[in-house]
Amino acid sequence: MTNLTINGLRVSVETGSTVLEAARFLGFPIPTLCHLEGLSPYGACRLCVVEIGEGPRAKLVTSCTYRVEEGLKVRTASTRVVRARRMILELLLGTCPQAKKIQDLASAHGVRQQRFRQEHDDCILCGLCVRMCEEQMMARAIGFRGRGESRSIGTPFDMKSEVCRTCGGCQLVCPACQLRCTFVEKDAAVCGGCVNLQPPCLDRPKFDNMMCYMKPCVACEIEQDGR
Amino acid sequence: MARLNSIPELKHLREIIQEDMADSRPRIVVCAGTACQASASSDIIRVAKRYLLEKQLLDKIKLRITGCHGFCEAGPFILTEPMKAFYHRVGLADVPRIIETTLEGKLVEELLYADAVTGERYRCQDDIPFFKFQQRTIFGRNQKVDPMRIYDYLATGGYKALEKTLLAMTPREVIEEVKASGLRGRGGAGFPTGRKWELLAGQPGDRGKYLVCNADEGDPGAYMDRSLLEGSPHSIIEGMLIGAYATGATHGVVYVRNEYPLAIKHLIIALRQARDLGLLGESILGSKFSFDIEIVKGAGAFVCGEETALMRSVEGKIGEPRQRPPFPVEKGINGRPTAINNVETWANVPIIIERGAAEYAKIGTRGNSGTKVFSLVGKIRNTGLVEVPMGMPIRDIVHKIGGGPSGKAAIKAVQTGGPSGGCVPYWKFDLPIDYDSLSEAGTMMGSGGMIVMDENTCMVDVAKYFMNFLKDESCGKCFTCRKGTQRMHEILDDISKGKALMEQLDLLGELAYVVKDTTMCGLGQTASNPALSTIRYFRREYQRHIFDKRCDAFVCKELVGAPCQSACPIGTEAWRYTAHLAKGEYQLAYNVIREQNPFPSVCARVCDHKCESRCKLGTTGSRPLAIRALKRFITERIDPMSYKPQRQRHEGPPERVAVVGSGPGGLTAAHYLSLMGYHVTVYEADAEPGGMLVAGVPKYRLPRDVVRKEIEALIDDNITVKCNSALGRDITIDGLFAEGNKAVFLALGAHRSRRLGIEQEDAKGCYPAMPFLRAFNLKGEKLAKGRVGVIGGGNSAIDAARVALRQEGVESVTILYRRSRQEMPAFPAEIEAALQEGVKLEELVTPTKVQVKDGQVCGVTFIRNRLGEVDQSGRRSFVPIPDSERGVTLDTLIVAIGEQILEFNPAGSEGLEYSKQGTLIADPDTLATARPGVFAGGDVITGPNTVVDAIAAGKKAAVMIHRFLRGEELRQPAERNVPRVYVEPRMLSPDEQEEARRAEPPLLSLRDRRSGFDEVEKALTQEAAAREAQRCLRCDLEFTQPKAAARPAAPGGDPSTRSQVPASA
Repeated sequence: MTNLTINGLRVSVETGSTVLEAARFLGFPIPTLCHLEGLSPYGACRLCVVEIGEGPRAKLVTSCTYRVEEGLKVRTASTRVVRARRMILELLLGTCPQAKKIQDLASAHGVRQQRFRQEHDDCILCGLCVRMCEEQMMARAIGFRGRGESRSIGTPFDMKSEVCRTCGGCQLVCPACQLRCTFVEKDAAVCGGCVNLQPPCLDRPKFDNMMCYMKPCVACEIEQDGR
Repeated sequence: MARLNSIPELKHLREIIQEDMADSRPRIVVCAGTACQASASSDIIRVAKRYLLEKQLLDKIKLRITGCHGFCEAGPFILTEPMKAFYHRVGLADVPRIIETTLEGKLVEELLYADAVTGERYRCQDDIPFFKFQQRTIFGRNQKVDPMRIYDYLATGGYKALEKTLLAMTPREVIEEVKASGLRGRGGAGFPTGRKWELLAGQPGDRGKYLVCNADEGDPGAYMDRSLLEGSPHSIIEGMLIGAYATGATHGVVYVRNEYPLAIKHLIIALRQARDLGLLGESILGSKFSFDIEIVKGAGAFVCGEETALMRSVEGKIGEPRQRPPFPVEKGINGRPTAINNVETWANVPIIIERGAAEYAKIGTRGNSGTKVFSLVGKIRNTGLVEVPMGMPIRDIVHKIGGGPSGKAAIKAVQTGGPSGGCVPYWKFDLPIDYDSLSEAGTMMGSGGMIVMDENTCMVDVAKYFMNFLKDESCGKCFTCRKGTQRMHEILDDISKGKALMEQLDLLGELAYVVKDTTMCGLGQTASNPALSTIRYFRREYQRHIFDKRCDAFVCKELVGAPCQSACPIGTEAWRYTAHLAKGEYQLAYNVIREQNPFPSVCARVCDHKCESRCKLGTTGSRPLAIRALKRFITERIDPMSYKPQRQRHEGPPERVAVVGSGPGGLTAAHYLSLMGYHVTVYEADAEPGGMLVAGVPKYRLPRDVVRKEIEALIDDNITVKCNSALGRDITIDGLFAEGNKAVFLALGAHRSRRLGIEQEDAKGCYPAMPFLRAFNLKGEKLAKGRVGVIGGGNSAIDAARVALRQEGVESVTILYRRSRQEMPAFPAEIEAALQEGVKLEELVTPTKVQVKDGQVCGVTFIRNRLGEVDQSGRRSFVPIPDSERGVTLDTLIVAIGEQILEFNPAGSEGLEYSKQGTLIADPDTLATARPGVFAGGDVITGPNTVVDAIAAGKKAAVMIHRFLRGEELRQPAERNVPRVYVEPRMLSPDEQEEARRAEPPLLSLRDRRSGFDEVEKALTQEAAAREAQRCLRCDLEFTQPKAAARPAAPGGDPSTRSQVPASA
């Protein structure tokens, strides 16, 4: 067992477990997008950052990849952590605004605006599908290609893969392309708010945290484009 | 090469080689480093080889081909031994001469390296400032060895350190020695090398351990690792051998970029030679110690310089960093313990062992021992690789070694540490260069790139350039690094295009902080530095881009538009009237000028033409367009009265505004206020309106009838001019408000000369420049006689000198200036004209005493100066030479060392604030003074300045007073000032452009100039003007050309600005 302090609470967890596992086991919520039990931790989305250490040596690390150490001091929701998480969510909204999971997280963290130029990507390169394919489906049909701006996920040379069994595991785990707010098809829409072309934020309680609250509102944007 | 089986055998071999090489034959050394090869040093080598063969000189003189020596600016060069003569920029034809004279033991004087400024020739390499101030412990070897010959390396004491370790040191002792030396990793982070080795040595070695040499040097502008590998590969091999001995490592890896073919080639050869000699491989030199090195070629991803990414790349996987811990020393390549050090670190190791830690630690400062190689590139005269002890101030590197700025513009900052580093502004140049000081200043050592930037470098563009690099080179694993760098680049791009708001600057700062905080590897954690450090030190530049829509360095194309237009303080569309002139449309051309400038004829004569200094023709190799001469040509042909300005409708009863001072600034403000419907009263202290235009500027530059005509055309029904009304004497600000004026604009000129502050300055025959000029210009009094001395180097000094020269009874005129002609603030053309007319210039003298006889000046005593160090203003300072005082006989002395505003009686004009220099304080952006409703602009707030700046102040004052009277916010975001009107081009063909020369206006004959006050400069002929106008590159077309029309090929190269950031040298 390893002894550490999480949010001021002295705890003892199994040696070798990650900070994320320890925190979740003890009931401290840490948001994640690229983490899934059963898949190896990767640390791509950075949402699960926690603050470790003290004073000038304090730093943020991803809890999903950081193993517990004896005497480690962890803060899962310090100002620094929250500030970072909110900026990450704002960046995610700027990239992938239709993903329900991202919208929900942003909503839960009180992110009320998105100040970047709006993009409509359908992938945040969290790599869940790559790990799913490799580790659970033993297929290794897809992987990362390129770096920087041109990084993408796909099969080698974009050719039809011979090892892919079209199992759909990759889609199942995707936080961005599954459960997307497809706002134009009424039935497929998550909350429906935007299809009615009403600012859905007015109707908040009805949809709880499932709504499209974006600013600029996706609904409004469509309405403007339609004119 | 026979394998050496013991240390004595190595020693013996070295002795034989050294004996063999220790002959007295002279030697010719040619650098074949990559930079020199680019400047054709391979041809030099070929010619030299052929010459030696043809003349059968091989046994008389030797040729050595080496790696980079560092002075890449001077390449290709030849160094001779033993004289150490340094011939720079050698041509192929010079080679035989150099060989022959070297054989004779002489020098070719005219080919020796000469200082670009002083012209001084240096006979020995060690005396050249570039080399003199360096301490080349690791880099000095490059010029002594041929990298492809291991014998050269052995002869210079190579592998002696290895010998020493194998013979007399235990691994523990080696580690202790390295620890004691204080060596820190030269890759940038500065982790103590000895400590790293200690950790590696402590790891279990049953499955093998790795040592890695990180040669994945990817910073734009940095190439010291490359040059070390190319020039002295054995130093790195020896360093790694010692490291392996100390840590028990079994495998060595050199991870080198595939973009460094020469380095790889030399390394392969060096490894083979070392293996053949038994210095590498199994049981080295017959001992039990075994170690081998392999080369892994990197594919050029910047991130692979990060150690965890590098390890994955070595393993053959995608170069992606991973979380530490576990650290590489615990779990590295293939899961084995691994230590990774930079090329330069490895090169330091043999030196530490050979000299001993204590000796090594004496170099540099405490905690930062040793030397560091920097690649000094950018806007600097001596580009190249420099090695200096740590702790040297940046100023010394830039000025002493680098030789100062390469152009005329002053140095603004240096960028260190590559893309992830930051900037150090000029005012922090006393910063000692070491790991800790740099990181405190918000930048980092990095691998040692040092990019020098001058006033023509835009810091927003620099940040954008590096961010663009990082967004492409981020591995993309961490979302915040990948997307964060993209978004930061997006915001910087918006700022550079004038599309951003101030909120975005805050967002940029916020995002930069989070990216720094939440990414995993070194690349991401430092990716924000380019933005953060430029915002920290150059926030003003960002604000200028965002709020004023100006790029003062003239780099950001979208904001600059046509450089001539944005260089003009009043935004004159020079390209546009030039285009009309080219087509013969003179009235249209005049209207274009007059729209922005109420004084076209005045400016056509006395403007300092900032437009010309920014003209693309001038910055791309040719000479700038003669814009002022073209303006002069137009104004000669068109009557000022022909222009009818547009008047705005004014609602309600007209409000009254008072303007104090009827110079160009005051009259401009009055004119534009009148156009907006205000009733303006202009108060002038002298008997005639015009201010400095009639009182200060001499007639031979600006004939009085031209000024009068222009002023006459400006004064309309809304403007009343009251002469002989001086502020403080005849009027007060309180009085002006009491008379019903709603606002007051103070546009007083600087009519009072500064005093020298030396003895007997008030003697008869001694005049301050302004009273001297005013007496002549306003009253026709000729005060100068006999031998005239003028003290000062500004424009008023030149004016006074030229006016004095033209007065009867003057024998000679001498200007006395404390610095040299280069530092004179007067316009170079004016200085040239004065000298042509016979004015003498005495440089580097400071007057100490006025000699007086019978109350009349009879001479002046001065002390000689010499030029000293570069001071804060970027000019060379002057240092008096003791006991060099000398007297000169004079009959008239004119003191022209600067002007101030005339003091006025403050009673009734309270509520204003003054600076220490005696100028009024007003907000430079809004011109508002401390007293509400009172605005001030021109000389009264800036000190003596140009006519066009006064006009600009007048225009701004009109806008601000209008806003003030309307109750609007004074400070409002500016509009982009880019060309908007399309004028069909009529340009020279590319061939004609090639031949065309700048048109110079004809001048009055020298005889007439000396004897009279006729205007010196005449207008261009019609033919010359038309041709000159067609020489314009028409930078505006990029913005105004109708989309459908095909763009004509721009002659003389693409006028568009290219990124000013210096890329890799």
